[in-house]
This record gives sequence, structure tokens and C-alpha cells, in this order.
Amino acid sequence: MPVWLREHSWRQSLSAVYLSLPLRGARATAANIFCSEQYLKVSIPPFLFEAVLYAPIDDTNSTAKIGNGDIFFTLYKKEPAMWDSLTLANADKEKLQHLRENAVLKAQEKAKEETEAKKITKQENKKYALEATMKLEEAERKRIEDLKEKERQKVTKELELWKNQQKDGDKYKSIQAKEELHEEKEPLKERKNEKMNKTRVPNEGSSKTRLRSTRGRGSCSIFSQDLKEEQLPAPRAAATIEVTFTPRVFPTALRESRVAEEEEWLHKQAEARRIINSDLSELEDLKEEEKNPDWLKDKGNKMFAMGDYLGAVNAYNLAVRLNNKLPLLYLNRAACHLKLRNLHKAIEDSSKALELLTPPVPDNENARLKAHVRRGTAFCQLELYTEGLQDYEAALKIDPKNKIIEEDAEKIRQLIQGTMQSS
Amino acid sequence: MSAVLGPERPQVVSHVQQALSYTVFDCKWVPRSARLMCLGSAARGTGVIQLYELHGARLEVLREIEKPKPIKCGTFGATSLQQRYLATGDFDGNLNIWNLEAPEIPVYSVKGHKEIINSIDGVGGLGIGEGAPEIVTGSRDGTVKVWDPRQNDTPVANMEPAQGESKRDCWTVAFGNAYNQEERVVCAGYDNGDIKLFDLKTMSLRWETNIKNGVCSVEFDRKDINMNKLVATSLEGKFHVFDMRTQHPTKGFASVSEKAQKSTIWQVRHLPQNRDIFMTSGGSGSLHLWKYEYPAQRSKKDSEGSEMGVAGSLSLLQNVTLSTQPISSLDWSPDKKGLCVCGAFDQTVRVLIVTKLNKI
Repeated sequence: MPVWLREHSWRQSLSAVYLSLPLRGARATAANIFCSEQYLKVSIPPFLFEAVLYAPIDDTNSTAKIGNGDIFFTLYKKEPAMWDSLTLANADKEKLQHLRENAVLKAQEKAKEETEAKKITKQENKKYALEATMKLEEAERKRIEDLKEKERQKVTKELELWKNQQKDGDKYKSIQAKEELHEEKEPLKERKNEKMNKTRVPNEGSSKTRLRSTRGRGSCSIFSQDLKEEQLPAPRAAATIEVTFTPRVFPTALRESRVAEEEEWLHKQAEARRIINSDLSELEDLKEEEKNPDWLKDKGNKMFAMGDYLGAVNAYNLAVRLNNKLPLLYLNRAACHLKLRNLHKAIEDSSKALELLTPPVPDNENARLKAHVRRGTAFCQLELYTEGLQDYEAALKIDPKNKIIEEDAEKIRQLIQGTMQSS
Repeated sequence: MSAVLGPERPQVVSHVQQALSYTVFDCKWVPRSARLMCLGSAARGTGVIQLYELHGARLEVLREIEKPKPIKCGTFGATSLQQRYLATGDFDGNLNIWNLEAPEIPVYSVKGHKEIINSIDGVGGLGIGEGAPEIVTGSRDGTVKVWDPRQNDTPVANMEPAQGESKRDCWTVAFGNAYNQEERVVCAGYDNGDIKLFDLKTMSLRWETNIKNGVCSVEFDRKDINMNKLVATSLEGKFHVFDMRTQHPTKGFASVSEKAQKSTIWQVRHLPQNRDIFMTSGGSGSLHLWKYEYPAQRSKKDSEGSEMGVAGSLSLLQNVTLSTQPISSLDWSPDKKGLCVCGAFDQTVRVLIVTKLNKI
């Protein structure tokens, strides 16, 4: 239930009504006041004041002053007349309700219209601003263009001038040359000695300014040519300078290298060197050199070369136990297994080697090639020709120019076709 | 990097643009004239030399010469002002010197290299510098050879990879330090980033360094003075300016480098009238005009007491994008300050004028 504020006081003049409403301690803001043409309401919960006015007022121009614990309304009448009372006295409930609703609706409409109008003006303003800026920018651009044009024309004119002078100079010089060639040599030489100093100086002087003085140049050039021929040194004694180029770990220039991958590969190799999977108890009775995977690898290679495949496998096994990250060990062991016809083991070892030979870089091309070929051979000997062919093709991709691999790949293809036809 | 005020900056004005029917690899001004030379390769695989003259706002073709092999580079550097013979290197490794009045038979010809001659430079001609006129060529076969037009068939100096050494393409060569009759130096840039400085007087390697990316172009600021500055441009938009006055025994020459354009910097050319201004041309079709400022002291002593150079600083005066294709060749006119020609891979040659260079 709202608390009605009834203690208002008012007075009027012909054109305005002054209404004072004490607020009894409540604070009011503009939002609490609702006013339309014939209806006035102040609602500060729980307080409420409303008045259905005697006659319509001009609500846009009317003001409300909030302060000092009360609100002071200045309402401008639509029609200047003296009111009998502030509110319509005999208003029954329905009429009041009706009026209230109307008032609200009207207020809403007005609000809507106002926003519309504001929007439109805003848009127009924006458009105007835009056009103004565009005009300014156009003007600026034009100004710059004009400047450039002027420069261009000025420069073109200068160029033409210079060029014409050049042409004249050339013509003059050629005439001069012809004239002087007709003269005899001796007077030329005499004059050379006298005039040399004189004509040299004006020539150098004029080189500082824009153009050459044609006459001086004409005669001087012939003289200077003679002089120059006398003064030119003999051709240099032939010699060769040997050059070396900056070495790189990978012999490719920055633009060609795939640095990231190469770094990875180098890193991996370095790591691999450092690993020692040691099983100390078993290895205690081995000699120092037998604990070195590289030495063991060399031993294995030697035994392989001599045909002692089992011995080579043993050497590689021990090396792997010491350091299982060196791809070459697996690679060589695969070769041994191939010779020993341990085909499955050969495949295993080649695969392990290939695994360790990632990322694929030019440095480990050779090793990868061998791994593919060995695995391919093992597959073929197991009659798994398709897998074998796959490996051979991978090998071909690494080294397309290898004839042997190409021939072998062909043979396998034909074998496959042969078996397919017969089955 | 200091900035020059807006309206006072040099402007690059495009004066003439000419579409060509062949790929232009090199363009050069004919000295003492308003004529220019374009060298390149026609679609049918033959070489083209075209001579143009500047007429107002157009380029007029004066002469067109066709040769059996495409031509990669050319120079007027080793001829006298009267003769104005053009020395060219072609795709087959031949070095030829042509008299443009009678271009059917070359004045000098030698099959200098086994592969394409990438770059050529000449010194001793045009009234610049002293000493014998010489031509240097750098080729994909990794060798750099110096030729004297008076000596047939054999080079007077040959810089080749040592026996058994793998070769790297030589992409650019330049002469320098030719301030008297004996002194001369050749600088060569290779595709693996090596820059080597050969002293022709002592026939030895004077200095080498590696700037990691392939070197597209090297140029001394002047050929005919005691070597002062060397600019080397490379792939990936970087270029280095070396101060060549002070050589430290281990550290070599001091340098400042700048990464300007996102793509390869194809060429660098110093303004003939002011040796501290140079223009670089890039793979994105843009030209940048730079000015080098010297440091307060060009050399200082290091901890052991040996002299060490101090590099200065660079400021960008102007940049402009002319094309979408790389601008592969650039040449300033030695006669008119600010006039330059550039040739791009979009088969156009453009004549540009750079203004306000007097105010720098």
C-alpha cells in the first residue's frame, strides 16, 4: 500500500502553475517523476503522489526542481486560463484509470518518437561528417598530386634541356674531331704540349658544373686519348688465386637447408654417442677396448669382410648392449643376418636401424638406402614380394640413379605379376 | 634512423615506362648521353640488346641487336668515353665486347666460363680512375676472372675453387680501390653468403666473411678511390654496409646491417654524384633510397690496441613500390643527378627521376 503524499501546495499565474511537494525525507531523482499532458505522478516507494490535472499542460517545457526535501514543479499551461483547482475534482475511478492509461501511452509514444528523431539526426550528422572528411582528404590528395605533377614537369623540362645540350655537344665534338683529324700530326703534337695544361683545366672545371664546355672537351679528348694510350700499364701478369668456401656441417646454403631437421639429427647422434647402457656386472671381465661400441663395430665389420658372420653378429650384439642408439650397428647386423639367412632377424634389425635414422636428412641418406635395400632383400627371400617392392621403391626414391636397385625392383615387379597371373 | 621532413624528402618520380617484348636482365645508361641500353633474353631463347633514347616522355628505340645466346649482364666500365664499347656476359659463359655502331662482330670475344656469367664489372674506362681497363666476370661455375681487352683468351687473374673443393655459384662481382695504377681490388659475392675480397696487386685473398644468406649484389661506393664503403645485399631482405677504411686483423671490417624489405634485395647502386646515397631494389618491386651517416669516429682501438673500424648508421630517405615483380637491375645516370633507370621482371623498363637530392 503506497503512502500518499497529500501535503502539496500550489499557486498559479495565467500561464503557469507552481506546485510544491514536500517529500518527507525521501530522496527523489528524475526517474521517479512521470508527467504527461494531463497527468502527474511522483513515485518514490513507498510514497506516491498523483494528480490528474485540471487542464492540459505543456509537459516538454515544464520543469521539476528537486532539492531541499521537496520537488518544485513549474508547469506551463497549454491554454492560459486560471484553474479552479489543481486536479480534476469529480473524477470517478474509471475516468481516472482511463486518463492514467492514456497518459502512459502518450508518454511512451512520445519517447519513441523522440528516439526516432534522435536516430535520424545522428545519422544525418554522421553522413555530413563523413562527407566533410572525404572532401578534406580529396583536397589534400589533389594538392599532393599537383605538387608531384609540378615536380615532374619541372624535371622533364630540365631533362630536355640537358639532353639537347648533350646532343649539341656531341655534334660539335664530332665536327671538331673531323676538322682536327685533317690537320697534320706535328702541329698537333706541338699544340698538345702547350694546350695540354690549358685545356685540361677548363675540362676539369666544367666537369664540376652541369655540362662540359664543348670546345675544350672536343680538343682535349683527342689529346687525352693519345696521352692515355701512352700511360696505360701493360696487361697484368696472369695469376690464379685459390678460393675455399665457408664449410658447413651440411654443405647447403641457408636457403636450401632444412636446419631444424638437421639440428635434430646432429643432436640425436651426439646423444647416441654418449649413452652407455652398462651392465657392469657382466662387463667387468671385458677389456677396456671391448667396452667401446665403435671398436666393436669395427671388429664386426672386419669379421664380416672375412666371412665370419657369426662372429660379426656377436660383436654387434655386444656393441648394442653397450649402446643401443647407434643405427649403424643394427644396419650392419642386418647384413650379417641376411648372409646367415636369418631373414626375420634381418628385417627386425633393418627396421630398428631405419627407426633410429629419423629425421631423414642428406647426411644419413646412405645409411637409409642400405637399410631399405637389406630389408627389401629379406622380404623377397621370404617371398613377401609386395613388402620387398615397397622397400626397393623407398630406396629408389632416395637414390633415383642407382641402376642395380632399379633392375632389382623391376625383377620383383615381374615376379609379382607372374604369381598373380598363375594364382 | 633519422627521418627527413615530409615535403623535403626526395621524391621518386616515374618519368617513362616502356613495355618490352623480352625479359630484361640488365639496363645501363650509355655514358655522356641520354641513351640507355637494355639487355636480356627473348622468348625464343636468343639474346637482345636494345638501345633507347629519351625523347620527352617517351623512349625511342634507336637500335635492336639480336645475338644467339641470352645476355645476362653488361657494363660500360672498361671503355673509353669515345669508344663506348659495351662488354656483355651471356648465358653460355661468353664474354663479348661490342662496338654498338658495328655490332655484327664483337671487338673482343672469349668463352670465359663454363656456365652462365652472372655478373660483370669494368674499371679503368670512362675517364674514371687510373690504370689499365679491366673487366671482371663472376659465374655460376664458381670462378671469378679478370680480363684485359688487350689480351686474348686468357684472363689476367682467376679466382677459382681449390682442387677438390665443391663450388658455389658466384652471384656478383665489383671492382674497387682503383685509386692508382697498381692498386685494384675485386669483391665477389657467392650464393652461400660468402663475400671475398681479392687484392689484384698482391694476387691474394685480402678478406672474407660470410653473411649467411646468398649475396645478390655488392658495390663499392666509388671504384676509383681508396676503398671507403662496400654494400652487400642478400636474400631475405638484408643488406650490410661495411666500412672499408680500417681492417682489423681478426674481425675484418666493421659493418652495419639493415633488414628492409621482406624479399630478396636484388641490386644496390650508389649515386655517382654522392657516395653516401644509394638505392636498393627489392623482390617485391620496391625501391628504397638510403643515406649512410658516418659515426663520430671512424675507427677506434680495441683491447689489444689494434685499430678497429666503427660502422655508422643508415636512414631511409624514401621508398616506393613500382611493380609487383622483382626489380632486377638499376642504374644511375652519371651525367644527370637523380636520373635512373630500372628494369623489372614484368618486362618493363622504367626511367625515374629522384628529386631534391641536392638538399641531402
